[in-house]
Amino acid sequence: MATTDESTGTWFGADGQVSQLRGLLFKAGCLGATLLALFLVFVFLVYVAIDAIEPGTADPAWWATVATTVAGPAIVLSIYYYRFAPRAGEVAYTALGLPVAATLLAGGVSIVFRHIVSPHEWLALVVASLVAYGALEFHGRARDAGALERVVVGAAVIGLTIVGVPGLVPSLRTLLLSLPVLPMAPLALLGTFVVPIGVGAGWSVRRARESDRAGLIAGGVTVAAAAIGAVAGPVVGVSWTTWLVLTTVVGVPVGLYVERVYRGGKGVSGLALPVALAAGVVVCAVIVETAGFAGPDVWIDWEFLTSAHNRTPREAGIYPALVGSVMMIIVVALAAFPVGVGAAIYLEEYAPTSGLSGSIVELIEINIANLAGVPSVVYGLLGLALFVKVGELRPGIVIVGGLTVSLLILPIIIISAQEAIRAVPDSQRRAAYGIGATRWQTVRTVVLPRAMPGIMTGTILALGRAIGETAPLLMVGVAAVVRISPRSFFGLFSAMPRQLYSWAQLAKPDFYHGVLAAGVLVLLVVLLMMNGTAILLRNKYQRRD
Amino acid sequence: MTRNDTRKADDSDEQRTDGSGPAVSEPTTRPDATSDSLLDDSFDVTSGSLSGDADAVLETRNLDVFYDGVQALQDVTIEIPENGVTALIGPSGCGKSTFLRCINRMNDLIDAARVEGELRFEGKNVYDDDVDPVALRRKIGMVFQSPNPFPKSIRDNVAFGLEVQDKAGDVDETVHRALERAALLDEVEDQLDSSGLDLSGGQQQRLCIARAIAPDPDVLLMDEPASALDPIATSKIEDLIEDLAEEYTVIIVTHNMQQAARISDKTAVFLTGGELVEFDDTDKIFENPEHDRVEDYITGKFG
Ligand SMILES: Nc1ncnc2c1ncn2[C@@H]1O[C@H](COP(=O)(O)OP(=O)(O)OP(=O)(O)O)[C@@H](O)[C@H]1O
Ligand SMILES: [Mg+2]
Repeated sequence: MATTDESTGTWFGADGQVSQLRGLLFKAGCLGATLLALFLVFVFLVYVAIDAIEPGTADPAWWATVATTVAGPAIVLSIYYYRFAPRAGEVAYTALGLPVAATLLAGGVSIVFRHIVSPHEWLALVVASLVAYGALEFHGRARDAGALERVVVGAAVIGLTIVGVPGLVPSLRTLLLSLPVLPMAPLALLGTFVVPIGVGAGWSVRRARESDRAGLIAGGVTVAAAAIGAVAGPVVGVSWTTWLVLTTVVGVPVGLYVERVYRGGKGVSGLALPVALAAGVVVCAVIVETAGFAGPDVWIDWEFLTSAHNRTPREAGIYPALVGSVMMIIVVALAAFPVGVGAAIYLEEYAPTSGLSGSIVELIEINIANLAGVPSVVYGLLGLALFVKVGELRPGIVIVGGLTVSLLILPIIIISAQEAIRAVPDSQRRAAYGIGATRWQTVRTVVLPRAMPGIMTGTILALGRAIGETAPLLMVGVAAVVRISPRSFFGLFSAMPRQLYSWAQLAKPDFYHGVLAAGVLVLLVVLLMMNGTAILLRNKYQRRD
Repeated sequence: MTRNDTRKADDSDEQRTDGSGPAVSEPTTRPDATSDSLLDDSFDVTSGSLSGDADAVLETRNLDVFYDGVQALQDVTIEIPENGVTALIGPSGCGKSTFLRCINRMNDLIDAARVEGELRFEGKNVYDDDVDPVALRRKIGMVFQSPNPFPKSIRDNVAFGLEVQDKAGDVDETVHRALERAALLDEVEDQLDSSGLDLSGGQQQRLCIARAIAPDPDVLLMDEPASALDPIATSKIEDLIEDLAEEYTVIIVTHNMQQAARISDKTAVFLTGGELVEFDDTDKIFENPEHDRVEDYITGKFG
């Protein structure tokens, strides 16, 4: 009968059987929210970028040159990768992103060597650490010592070599620093910074290629490239130290990556993108120079990055605040990471879970979550009371700012570390306990290694929050304008957000348009780098599970 | 396969039925001297066999386990002889794993679990306050119901016990021997540095067996060690168990009746509700069990 066909026809997939309307509306609503959010962020970024770059001030011919020599080839290549060689596309983006990221890192390393650990201090630290390591290793080999003896010997060795007893026994490190003759700063770095990295690079190539020769070449090239900076550095106009840092921090990862791509033989054509871009930039520069096209009047340039605040907007820069932020982040990381992770380990692995004490622990955990939501101004007040009033430290110095911001991100670190520790499956702990591991052994060898990527991700994100905090810095009296970078962790400093805040209040429009926008861009780039690292870490370890 | 046991076959059963009323954890009598090794920091493998006291290495009296007040083991009284294989069989959820976890105090790690009664290992009640569960677990190895290798290399997985127990000696040699005994060496010999997680499920299980036997425990608890293995690997593991039983006490949970009949000397049958219904020589259990319920279970009429 015809009706059977009809009835099956109405049964399967006929419209109107199940109401789709509400679902569709909901979907459209969600899509709208997403688009609105993206649009707002995009508008904000474009607004800041236009202020910082001022594209209108450039000669149209300049833009045309840039478009044909740099943007055009890049777009053509991208389309080619997208259509025909996706693998090469991946290589291209990595090969482009890696040098950029590494250059920013190199900037950070340069700041560290210039302002925080001088090359000589670094030399002394490395030598003292090596001696300490050798002594401990020797002790371990020579004697089958018990746990207590090992702890005592370890403390003694580290005390004698690195820390020293204040006022009584100088450490090996300080003794080395007081030697009458020390090698030149770049030489010290060559020996204690470049050589270890070169050895690492050589070792990794040796393992990948299974050839001693390749490893030797890789290590040798690294050290040689750094060494010729003695001559080549002044020629291109940078100091030998800068050259050293650039060749190792930028050259080594890029070289290793290119080597890996070539060895794998997949997507080699992706390497063309960075090469084409670099060539395009050079060609563009030559054309612009010879033809005399005027470029845009950018605010964010080398001078902005390397000079201090100035009353003339064009000469104002962010350098001391950048250094201040880096130093502050070092304090924050050193203070908040051990405390936060330690607390998380205690709460997850040791704290009682039942009975009265269990309830107390639960209450504490809830309150930690609440602390994460306390406004940052309040933390500023807390820091002021704790470190300036009680601790009698000078307001506005790096260590006070850093410790105050550490308080602020401590709950965030604790919570994310707890989450990471909780994600370690119980079967892993059982396996360890079942074989007779103590709790400490289980935590150290099973739980922590497995939770570490998650802990690192959470910490980096929290540090990203820390670098942008302004209110606590205002509360603890961080200076609005600092013209010289802090010399030590006890020096007065300014941080990037604090500097931005004071620029925003200056009367000249050039400050709150151009300089401020440039500063925002720098801060955003630093943030983006940190968050990108966190995401990379997470992806890398997620795939393994 | 049959080991001649001097003890009366019905001993345990009688004790169980005799122990009427709710189990109370009585203050235990003073343990004999040999048990002190549990308190030591040095884990001497050859702690010496017990004097007099039959040859029971493990014995429980009126053991009850509760999870959040729900009883999972009821009044279990059993004496497990030294050396040889004891099989624990019974339907799912009857408390076999729970019983194994009591022996090396893994139940301590479960917040909900509460153990009452007495469990003597080498004459010493392991639930006494002065017993260090870590030391206990170093003498009693365990293979879990589901394989749980560490995300480390195969070598490091097997060497883990040696490392945490601070055992001196040739680590590589011990690792190789443990892998060989666990019937895994041939398959992984040239990839000892690759991750233990890259192995198949059955290989992971054998890896866990290798990890458990590497530090050379006195007693080995195995919770369905052959559940994910093919017949060849299973028979290798059974060979291993027989081999181990020469020197060690092996207690194995299995759902495979043939396997229990093949490899064990003694068999304990738990039935739903967590009661130990019968414990006897394996031959007796499989040929002529005392209880009808046991016969029903073994022949598959009840499960
Ligand atoms: N961690 C736990 N928390 C609460 N109850 C539990 C827990 N572990 C086991 N139980 C309960 O105890 C009883 C016995 O469980 P057990 O795991 O010992 O059974 P089993 O005999 O090993 O079963 P199977 O053969 O399926 O492995 C079950 O009813 C189970 O629900
Ligand atoms: Mg079980």
